[in-house]
Amino acid sequence: MGDLVISSDNLQKSFRLGIFRKRVEALAGVSFAVEKNEIFGLLGPNGAGKTTFIKLLMGLIFPTAGSARVLGRPVPDLGAKQRIGFLPENPYFYDYLSCEELLDLMGRLFGLDARERRRRAGALLERVGLSRIVKESANLPLRKYSKGMLQRIGIAQALINDPELVVLDEPMSGLDPIGRREIRDLMVDLRREGKTVLFSTHILSDVELLCDRVAIIVDGKLRGSGPVDKLLSPRLLHTEVVLASGDRTEICEVAPDGDLDAVLRDALAAGKHVRSVTPRRESLEDLFMREVEAGTSRVSQS
Amino acid sequence: MNRVLAIALNTFREAVRNKVLYSLLVFAVAMIASVLLLAQVSLHEESRVTRDLGLGGIALFGVLIAIFVGVSLVYKEIDRKTVFALLPKPLHRFEFILGKFVGMAFTLLIQIALMTAVLFTALSLQGEFSGASAAILIRAIALITVEVMVITAVAVFFSTFTSPFLSGVFTLAVFIIGRSTPELTELVGKLENPALRFGFSAALELVPNLHLFYVSGSMVDGHAVSIHAAFVDWAYVGWAAGYGAAWAAVVLLFSMVVFSRRDFV
Ligand SMILES: Nc1ncnc2c1ncn2[C@@H]1O[C@H](COP(=O)(O)OP(=O)(O)OP(=O)(O)O)[C@@H](O)[C@H]1O
Ligand SMILES: [Mg+2]
Repeated sequence: MGDLVISSDNLQKSFRLGIFRKRVEALAGVSFAVEKNEIFGLLGPNGAGKTTFIKLLMGLIFPTAGSARVLGRPVPDLGAKQRIGFLPENPYFYDYLSCEELLDLMGRLFGLDARERRRRAGALLERVGLSRIVKESANLPLRKYSKGMLQRIGIAQALINDPELVVLDEPMSGLDPIGRREIRDLMVDLRREGKTVLFSTHILSDVELLCDRVAIIVDGKLRGSGPVDKLLSPRLLHTEVVLASGDRTEICEVAPDGDLDAVLRDALAAGKHVRSVTPRRESLEDLFMREVEAGTSRVSQS
Repeated sequence: MNRVLAIALNTFREAVRNKVLYSLLVFAVAMIASVLLLAQVSLHEESRVTRDLGLGGIALFGVLIAIFVGVSLVYKEIDRKTVFALLPKPLHRFEFILGKFVGMAFTLLIQIALMTAVLFTALSLQGEFSGASAAILIRAIALITVEVMVITAVAVFFSTFTSPFLSGVFTLAVFIIGRSTPELTELVGKLENPALRFGFSAALELVPNLHLFYVSGSMVDGHAVSIHAAFVDWAYVGWAAGYGAAWAAVVLLFSMVVFSRRDFV
């Protein structure tokens, strides 16, 4: 248990909306744990409750019921916050500051001295690929930054305290393909440095490429959590066999429970050539849609 | 403490870059211009006119800026979602409120100091500037400063839970009621119905008596309720500052409680 970095116990949150105070249940009792030194993905469609969950962990909102612990302490705890880095969704910072001033402010809040703040700011700007822009126009206020640049400075400020746990709400949003790639590499680097990363996304390929484990949230409920390959193993639809006899090619589909060996044996016996045997799986998107629609509760503990 | 100072410094930086301080420049120019104009009209009374106009101007501008900037001080951070990145840092929510207030108070202090400098310059141009009159003016300005701080605290309080517009309306109401405390107390005392009388006088207790900081002659029902410059000594200024500080502290405490309990969505 000592190695749980995040544990949420039946975390619930409902909002009251409009003049009739209609109850909106954003999170309906979510429990799972994130272990030390893993990249954990929080996967779900728009409005699933990912941001709500993350805000509860960061102490920005208070749960209607349930509780959460981060780095072994109940939320929100100053000692734990000292060791957390956080990137909000669509980050917005003081737009009258330059990015060096922003990093300096954040560094002060962590009690870093001036030399350390300057050193880390320089290194982080390099790391998130902003140092060239800063060199060109050092005093450019954040007001004039593009969305992708803001996202990058957001990631930089989340790392200013060299955190043990990094929580990123949609870190890839607003980034171009190169930027996404860089952030993916950065997350892998963080894991190599022994840190734990929790991030939310609705992009399946990011999860597939990066995560050790994922939790799928749909409609405020946990649909499943566990290792990516177990949870998101796409179903085999059929196996496609391409055969050639002379200049004629024929394609036959073998059902997942069909006898592929027999098909191939028969084809060879009939003097045909086997050109290719390809398993056709459903796309990750299809799988995700199935999760979202079906609501099968495949909560696997691992 | 370092964290509070970091927030305060950032608040001050925002005010400076927000060009709030430049409203002061407009004021200074306007004041000097009107002083020169009025000095020609009122012949022998010119230094008194300059003084009254100056003090009134400093109080008015101080309070207006406190309300205008104060009501958006915390609200803007919530509205623009800058709190999302800030509050998960190792920072207590009450430290955030304290930092915002300290930064704002420092900004206002500088503005009042600048306005005072302009007033003193105008007076010495008229050759009416003496050590004694400066001491009286400084006491009056000290009182105005305390009043401005109380108003800032009230504006911050409202802005932790309501829109800048409503906060502005409420804060202005507190200012007007607070300035008229002696008159309103007099009126309430005349009420026939004891329940109403009790209700209204209790309500008046919920508003700081800002008349204590208002350095100008005024009579209610034949009694002087004035704290005119001439009567004000440092002991009074000290007492009034204590009263103001207590009010500001209590109002800030309430702001911190409200801010600590709310969700940031
Ligand atoms: N302040 C609020 N008031 C009312 N309802 C809210 C509030 N904040 C969130 N919700 C609702 O809670 C649900 C979850 O929202 P949340 O922002 O957590 O989703 P999300 O998974 O982060 O979505 P996205 O991928 O679009 O960021 C949504 O249905 C949303 O409408
Ligand atoms: Mg979200």
